[in-house]
Amino acid sequence: MKARMQNSSSSAALLKQEFLKKWINGLQTYTNTKKEMTILDRKNAIKLSADIAIASTRNFSTNWSRAVMADVSKNVDGSSKIVTEKILGRKETCIIKCSKNIMRKSRLLAHRRRAIRRTIGRTSVKAASAIAKELVKKRTRVLKRLVPGGKQMNEICLIKETLDYIASLQVQVDVMRNIANAADHQCLDSTERSLL
Amino acid sequence: MGFGFDEIHGPISGPPETDSNSFTALLELPPPQAVELLIKEDFPAKPMPPPIFPSNIALIDRASKFSIYASPDNSPDSTAILPASSSMKLDLVKQEPLESDSHPNSSSPAVSNQSSKSGKRKEREKKVKESNKKSKKVAANEASELSGEKLPYVHVRARRGQATDSHSLAERARREKINARMKLLQELVPGCNKISGTAMVLDEIINHVQALQRQVEFLSMRLAAVNPRIDFNLDAVFAAESGSSIDNSYLGMFDPSIWPEGQINGSRQQLYQQPLHFDGLHQPSWGREDDTSNFISPEDSLLSYDSPPNSASLQSSKLKMEL
Repeated sequence: MKARMQNSSSSAALLKQEFLKKWINGLQTYTNTKKEMTILDRKNAIKLSADIAIASTRNFSTNWSRAVMADVSKNVDGSSKIVTEKILGRKETCIIKCSKNIMRKSRLLAHRRRAIRRTIGRTSVKAASAIAKELVKKRTRVLKRLVPGGKQMNEICLIKETLDYIASLQVQVDVMRNIANAADHQCLDSTERSLL
Repeated sequence: MGFGFDEIHGPISGPPETDSNSFTALLELPPPQAVELLIKEDFPAKPMPPPIFPSNIALIDRASKFSIYASPDNSPDSTAILPASSSMKLDLVKQEPLESDSHPNSSSPAVSNQSSKSGKRKEREKKVKESNKKSKKVAANEASELSGEKLPYVHVRARRGQATDSHSLAERARREKINARMKLLQELVPGCNKISGTAMVLDEIINHVQALQRQVEFLSMRLAAVNPRIDFNLDAVFAAESGSSIDNSYLGMFDPSIWPEGQINGSRQQLYQQPLHFDGLHQPSWGREDDTSNFISPEDSLLSYDSPPNSASLQSSKLKMEL
């Protein structure tokens, strides 16, 4: 257990480093344009770079990271394309396009499967177990909506993906919080200095 | 389509190794009740597995001999690949041996050839042994206890008092898989260990995911609202701040013994190679409505300390924040 904890802490540290590097890399694409941006634009750009960075740390080995990239490349305007290219490199942007096609196909198949399943009769027995199952189903539906790319996954896959997604989100939040705190501290210190 | 799936097949690399290791650890736990599934529906878009085991063909031959299954079942289409993160041993999955178990009449004469006991056992709890013997005959490469061996497919052991038809077995195997992963999730999400019941645990998980997503939103808003600064020279700032405050802060985060400082410095300097011009670093104007806002500003402003007392205070404040 201890070894696993140590293992996970060092790998979390590695992840944080990698995420930070990629995030800053992506942010640098905005150095020229930021003078005209409103605060909302800035926030969106920060969030976008962070999302792309954290998704790319998974190297497309998970469904949710592919889904994030597919969504990003869907709403392609100039800046987001530049950011993805910067973070990933030219070769991998074409991987995103291929994975988009894959996701589209799997989505169609998933629709067909679900249609077949629904036609297999439903019971209206109000047993306790049935109620429990209904609750679980409701929650899995909510979870599918939350996790990116979750709509096409079955339960087993969904749980595995949420595991990975939660860990990555945690990394993202930690790094962003550290930077935000440091920036705030520094801002306070400097304003104090300037007042003196 | 091919190379997208290469990534699926490869094990999840890097940091999630810990998670996948625990997956495999957990999945190896019930090998005595190991899983045999026909999971065609899990991966509809996956290509057929290239390696076709010779035992497969032998199995098909024997199956046709026993005339138990219809021929479509025997095609390789009935095999599927388990999720990549699961143990590499469980590559190929077939259900035919189980289906054969549901026909004790046909199996018993075959099995009785092998051992004298089989003919007498028709009770449910003993079916597993029959299935084992049957599959011993049918499959060239398996043992009744699967624990240490690499097998192309996995068998479910029917427990006492439980149905042994293929559907419920598959269902139970699937359920076990889900439960194993739910346990891992419970470990990850704080406060889930004490809750029992899938619905409650899922509730907690959903709350946690929503909270994390909201935090990302707020933090990015916070960063966007940081007072705009003048453009800084990242490279020069990093160079100037050898043993920079950021590095120290991350040392605070990491286990110091694992991540030496020199490594961090080197990697950072390699990354930032673009020289910009150095502007007003020494007289920063903290104007509120300054339009020359810089996204790197939070980062740069961290590193713009050139006076030791300030950097010391920054470090201490950061380290306090991490504790």
